[in-house]
Amino acid sequence: MNIDRRRFVGSAAGITATTGVAADWFWPKHSVSYQRPRSFVAILNATEYSEKVEALLMDGLRLFRLNLNGRRVLLKPNLVEDLPGPVNTNADVIGAAARCFLRLGAAKVVVGEGPGHQRDTELVVQAANLKPHLADRRIHFVDLNRDELARVELKASYSGLGELWLPRTVLDSDFIVSMPKVKTHHWAGVTLSLKNMFGIVPGMKYGWPKNLLHWHGIHECILDICATVPIHFVIADGITAMEGNGPLQGTARDLGKIVVADDPVAADATCARLMGLDPLRVQHLSDGGRFLGNLNANRIMMLGERVEPPARPFSVLPDFEYLIAPTR
Amino acid sequence: MLGVVPVGTRDPRWFAVDLDVSYTKGSLCLMVHFSVSNTVLASRQLVSGGWSFASSQQASIEATCLAAFALADEMPANAGASTQFLLKSQFADGCWPAFEGDSEGSWTTALSLCYLNGMTDFASAREKASHWLVEERGREAHWFWRWKFKTADRNVSFDPDKYGWPWISGSASWVIPTAFSVIALKQFTVCNRSELSEKRIRLGVDMLLDRACAGGGWNSGNSIVYGVPLPAHAEATAIALLALQDEERTSVIRASLAWLKQKSAAIESVESLAWCILCLFVYQEPVDHLKAGLATLVGDGRDIRNNATLATAILALRCGEMIHPFVVLR
Repeated sequence: MNIDRRRFVGSAAGITATTGVAADWFWPKHSVSYQRPRSFVAILNATEYSEKVEALLMDGLRLFRLNLNGRRVLLKPNLVEDLPGPVNTNADVIGAAARCFLRLGAAKVVVGEGPGHQRDTELVVQAANLKPHLADRRIHFVDLNRDELARVELKASYSGLGELWLPRTVLDSDFIVSMPKVKTHHWAGVTLSLKNMFGIVPGMKYGWPKNLLHWHGIHECILDICATVPIHFVIADGITAMEGNGPLQGTARDLGKIVVADDPVAADATCARLMGLDPLRVQHLSDGGRFLGNLNANRIMMLGERVEPPARPFSVLPDFEYLIAPTR
Repeated sequence: MLGVVPVGTRDPRWFAVDLDVSYTKGSLCLMVHFSVSNTVLASRQLVSGGWSFASSQQASIEATCLAAFALADEMPANAGASTQFLLKSQFADGCWPAFEGDSEGSWTTALSLCYLNGMTDFASAREKASHWLVEERGREAHWFWRWKFKTADRNVSFDPDKYGWPWISGSASWVIPTAFSVIALKQFTVCNRSELSEKRIRLGVDMLLDRACAGGGWNSGNSIVYGVPLPAHAEATAIALLALQDEERTSVIRASLAWLKQKSAAIESVESLAWCILCLFVYQEPVDHLKAGLATLVGDGRDIRNNATLATAILALRCGEMIHPFVVLR
């Protein structure tokens, strides 16, 4: 019997996942579950970044009938480096989201991020050209790397960290919106709404980068962080995405989509499918599908457009070729 | 006289004047301007004597050290209170946490030692801190991880035999904590060298030289990942060069200095520009034009919410008028 490398890795991942499910049944590593009977996802088509994004996003958000009256909303974009290319969540999308949530009744909207490599957060914010989008509505940007911290016991135990110091701004928010840039990632496979939450871990405690998380396992830390700080909503910037050697040095890939969802696992699974990748093969998605949200397509209600895999899957580094979904 | 001086002006010319010409209009304005920034920083000091990064009551050791440096000459009472805060915050084994309430040692031990190195007192605190620093190392220093990085894990290109200091215990070596640790130990051992400390300093210097980017400068850690060179960061480069100020001007140092000089001209961020000035000044490069640009960005300091950034800016603007906090005289 011939077994090629991809099939072998896929089978191994399947066996591991099955074993993991069995083990998790007897010894669960999470004390919370955010799974609901059904999750909602909408794919919005946008070919370019412009002021039109706000109207598009507003239409998309209205599909979810969010009750934001009086709530404190934290937008957590993915602002990583002052580099050219589709490295950061686009400022047009962040600004549009901030204005939309205010229009929907939010008492306060704050944009918060703690870049992982670049210590000078101001430099990253400048490179992203974010300030003009926030100034007109007096929306504050909070450097999560240097916010006041509180020690928090983790609600999952995949990493073995037990606890983390986390920013007050995050802990005091009522409604957390993860706003990733749709990208491949050279350590995690993909960086989407769940991986984006690495940015809430404060550099002033854990450094630049937050290397302790790497030593404790990237996927495991993602699960622990997202169990402890639940994501309430996702707006993923996939208008221009990144493929190849992401998250910093990949190449631009025009996807032309914004994915909005009320469930981070469903959002990431949808993004992965749009990238031509199999979400079941992304470890933190596969594990997260047991308690952070819905991974199974049967439990994801698409509001409008259905997921169509791309004609050509996103290119990935050789170590991650096993993520590529089998063609039908 | 002071009442007519437009405090808060953003006119960069006011920072290009020579302070030796005392009581000219320019120098008076310059002093007033500095005192405004100093006053802003001083007004944000916490009751504990420390400073937080922004508007919280949780003192940060980094912000406190930099603020204490910045106010040491002009506002000794504030600096004195912060010294007492730092001494109280030191753990029994000699290290400092990253912030008030934290219970683990961190890279801020190097920064605290730099601050205490400028004083004649507190020998015991400095001794304990230097001992902790000499013992501290990146996780890759362990034989198992060195072996792994040499054999099984080659996606990141670096020499694991050359290790420095981590941000916090349990993680790998990174450029900025290594650079501050090298500076702190070099300063501490000016009159106090030992074989152990020299060996540790040399290893840290070798680590920095090993991690330099191909075109000069430093990223946060490794310079190549998956075969692709990473770009340098201005702040990391400036601090790494400060650590190497007394080393032989190798091609790595020359290339990095050239990169920083070129990069600094276009930086519009206070934090990075301030570190560029602090570094280039030590290397006797012209910085007046950069100071002028920084003064414009800082204004009267009120808009700079990050106290560590404001303190660094004050230090950079006062380069040449006070003892450089990170100078190494060996």
